Amino acid sequence: MKKPAWLLLSLMLVLSMFLAACSGGGKTNTTESPKGETKGTEKEETKNEGPVQGGDLVIGSTGAPTMFNPLYSNDASSSDIEDMIFSQLMGSDIGLNTVKEGNLAETYEASEDGLEFTIKIVENAKFHDGEPLDADDVVFTYNIPLSPDYDGVRKSYFENIEKVEKIDQYTVKFTLKQVDAQFPVVSLGFGILPEHILKDVPIADLGEHEFNTKNPIGSGPFKFSEWKDGEYVKVVANDDYFDGRPYLDSVTYKLVPDANAILAQLQAGDIDYYAGIPQPDVPTVESYADAAGLRLESGLALSYTYLAFNQRDDKFKDKKVRQAITHAIDRKAIVEHVMAGLGEVAHVPESPLSWAYNPDVPKFEYDVEKAKKMLEEEGWKPGADGILEKDGKKFSVEVKTNQGNKVREDIVVILQKQLKEVGIEIKPQIVEFSSLIADIDPGVWNFEAIVLGWSLGIDPDPSGIFHTKEIEKGLNFTGYSNPEIDVLMDEQLKELDKNKRKEMIGKIQALLAEDQPYTFLYYPKEFRAMPKNLEGYEFHPKAQMYNIHKWWLKPE
Amino acid sequence: MVSYIFRRTLMAIPLLLGITILSFAIIKAAPGGPVAMLMDPKMKASDREKFEEKYGLNDPVYVQYFKWLGNMAKGDFGESLIKRGTPVSELILNRLPNTLLLMTVSFLLAVLIAIPIGIYSAMRPYSPLDYTFTVGSFLGVATPNFWFGLILIMFFSVTLGWFPTGGVATLNAPFSLWDRIHHLILPALVLATADLAALTRYTRSSMLDVLKQDYIRTAKSKGFKEKKVVIKHGIRNGMIPIITLFGLMLPSFIGGAAITEKVFAWPGLGQLFIDSAFQRDYPVIMALTVISAVFVVIGNLLADILYAIFDPRIEY
Repeated sequence: MKKPAWLLLSLMLVLSMFLAACSGGGKTNTTESPKGETKGTEKEETKNEGPVQGGDLVIGSTGAPTMFNPLYSNDASSSDIEDMIFSQLMGSDIGLNTVKEGNLAETYEASEDGLEFTIKIVENAKFHDGEPLDADDVVFTYNIPLSPDYDGVRKSYFENIEKVEKIDQYTVKFTLKQVDAQFPVVSLGFGILPEHILKDVPIADLGEHEFNTKNPIGSGPFKFSEWKDGEYVKVVANDDYFDGRPYLDSVTYKLVPDANAILAQLQAGDIDYYAGIPQPDVPTVESYADAAGLRLESGLALSYTYLAFNQRDDKFKDKKVRQAITHAIDRKAIVEHVMAGLGEVAHVPESPLSWAYNPDVPKFEYDVEKAKKMLEEEGWKPGADGILEKDGKKFSVEVKTNQGNKVREDIVVILQKQLKEVGIEIKPQIVEFSSLIADIDPGVWNFEAIVLGWSLGIDPDPSGIFHTKEIEKGLNFTGYSNPEIDVLMDEQLKELDKNKRKEMIGKIQALLAEDQPYTFLYYPKEFRAMPKNLEGYEFHPKAQMYNIHKWWLKPE
Repeated sequence: MVSYIFRRTLMAIPLLLGITILSFAIIKAAPGGPVAMLMDPKMKASDREKFEEKYGLNDPVYVQYFKWLGNMAKGDFGESLIKRGTPVSELILNRLPNTLLLMTVSFLLAVLIAIPIGIYSAMRPYSPLDYTFTVGSFLGVATPNFWFGLILIMFFSVTLGWFPTGGVATLNAPFSLWDRIHHLILPALVLATADLAALTRYTRSSMLDVLKQDYIRTAKSKGFKEKKVVIKHGIRNGMIPIITLFGLMLPSFIGGAAITEKVFAWPGLGQLFIDSAFQRDYPVIMALTVISAVFVVIGNLLADILYAIFDPRIEY
């Protein structure tokens, strides 16, 4: 008789330990949650006190960097560090406009025919070893990817450059093969490398050179100090930065590979700044932010999530059917339930943050009756089991998405429920990411419909995904083709007048919205946690380290 | 004995070759490649050609394998395809001390706790305390490491603030021994829990067998104290199966702690292995596979040798 009592007791002991641990985590929840965008009021308070120099900021990351050379690296963590170590000719502001301010270009002039760009660079930029940065360094940097020996993966970013020449010590001239409205955004955002260090290295060996991993030297606001593999990367303030010394003394980029552990580190104060908080975890982080000395800044992410239709499939050939499906999907409900309300319904493949965003496009709001009617007009009639039928075929669709993305897995289930209302049967298929990518590879196209997301570039050119010429080899995996849009897409790339280009892209967006090659689902909101007293921060949707040399910590 | 060790070592060579062939084939069969997973409308498939050509990634798999094997035979593990230009041996040596430290400490912790508990349980089987230990060890086996690790972090690091949340040392602080130990405690505890549970059970059952033997009863009936009988006659014999277990646990010193390392941001070999697998960094994956395979062979050999030392009846 004794045995069960002991068993129970020991079990309870163990369990209560875990329960204590669980509730312990939530104990700090009592303080009110901080507001996301509170900058307006804070600025007034700090009017009299100027920025203060000093402090170390610990930035958390789940991804580990691989190397620090913008022409060769290809992961987000490496470019975070590169943004601090290197400086570039042109950049983008928080409105995604291409700007020279804060970058190396002092003046920027295009020739009449749009084929030549003359750029004068600032004269006070210096590399971290004290050598001045001049036109030779720019010419050297751009000649690397133009060389046939270059073996990095960024060749296409430079394919339109005919040549780069030095005009005088601080002036360079780019000559293009053809007019390209994207040129400054796509090609001028690469960090400038030091010619005096790398000029004798054969270009074929540059990808493996120890400059990239052991001793990167740039002209950016921070100097490379130390990289402990798997632990952290440390950079320290560059006193001679051409745009003024950073206020922070150093930045430690700490690597915490586990997504849950990094949130625990944030709560414990072992990480000061983290930009990758998953939407479902936002309420939790908000609840302890104040107690942990943190605040959250948020904004739309530069991306959208969509449902794409394989237009080689007879079911999806007609745009009326695609429009009807969009009518049948309650996108507001998806944002509300799957994303905890942290997103906005999307209508076009461009972010509302972009200067080229067109709000005035055909919209297919949630309307089940209308959807039913449109499908009926297209010949889809409900069968005995309520599923639509046409020519003896059922309207049954396999919707794929990638495994491990909880939000997308939930979306597919909601789609299944919502589309059942109009008589469309959805069969969810959750597939491992790399095999899903293999399924949409050119020539394979093994899918009916798919839920995925695109991250958008700074430049609003949509042709990489919707141009007919991208079907055979590119990323237009749905097989969408509209000759009218193709022409417009080609033309806008040659239009150097921003306002005219905006109008043209706006027209493309309206046509894409009408055609519904995808059902554009939503733009997610992004949340970044940072110290409450971090000042000078501006939310840039693409660059989490935007203007990091202007960040400072207000003494408490 | 010496000739036995020599024979066993020779036998290990075809075994290791087989392992490399198999793992090479499996890794290459996985879709993707070190730069193939990038989806960027600004990039073309042709952008990767130069890279793939340089590293021979488009050669037939057997050609790639023999190239790799040739370098391997010269003791050259090659260079990483992701951290380009960095020798694989450097990546591994950077992390080896961290992994060895964590694994050794957690293993010692497990042994020091498990063996006394196991012996006690065998001496007092079906006692309340024995049941408690039994339940405890089943829970230990059943608890996933990542979950247990997170619970410990939430409770001891976040709520109580007693321990650091992860890493091997405090950032931006000078070296201090206590700081290193402080960082080691929680991950070592998590890792020890699983080993602990298994070791306790093995020790208990092995000791139970031994204590039932005639010579133990004889010793007891001669009037020796129970403690003395167990320590002098019981443990030495009861430990023999446990030694086998040690040998089998040795390979996990290299690769067994990936999940715990990840949760505690511990920069060890397990994490390196997982990262390389996801990034398709073939030379790193292969190097770590070979090293683990060698450890499996050595572990088994070591267990056999220890067997002979502890059990005079066994001879090779």
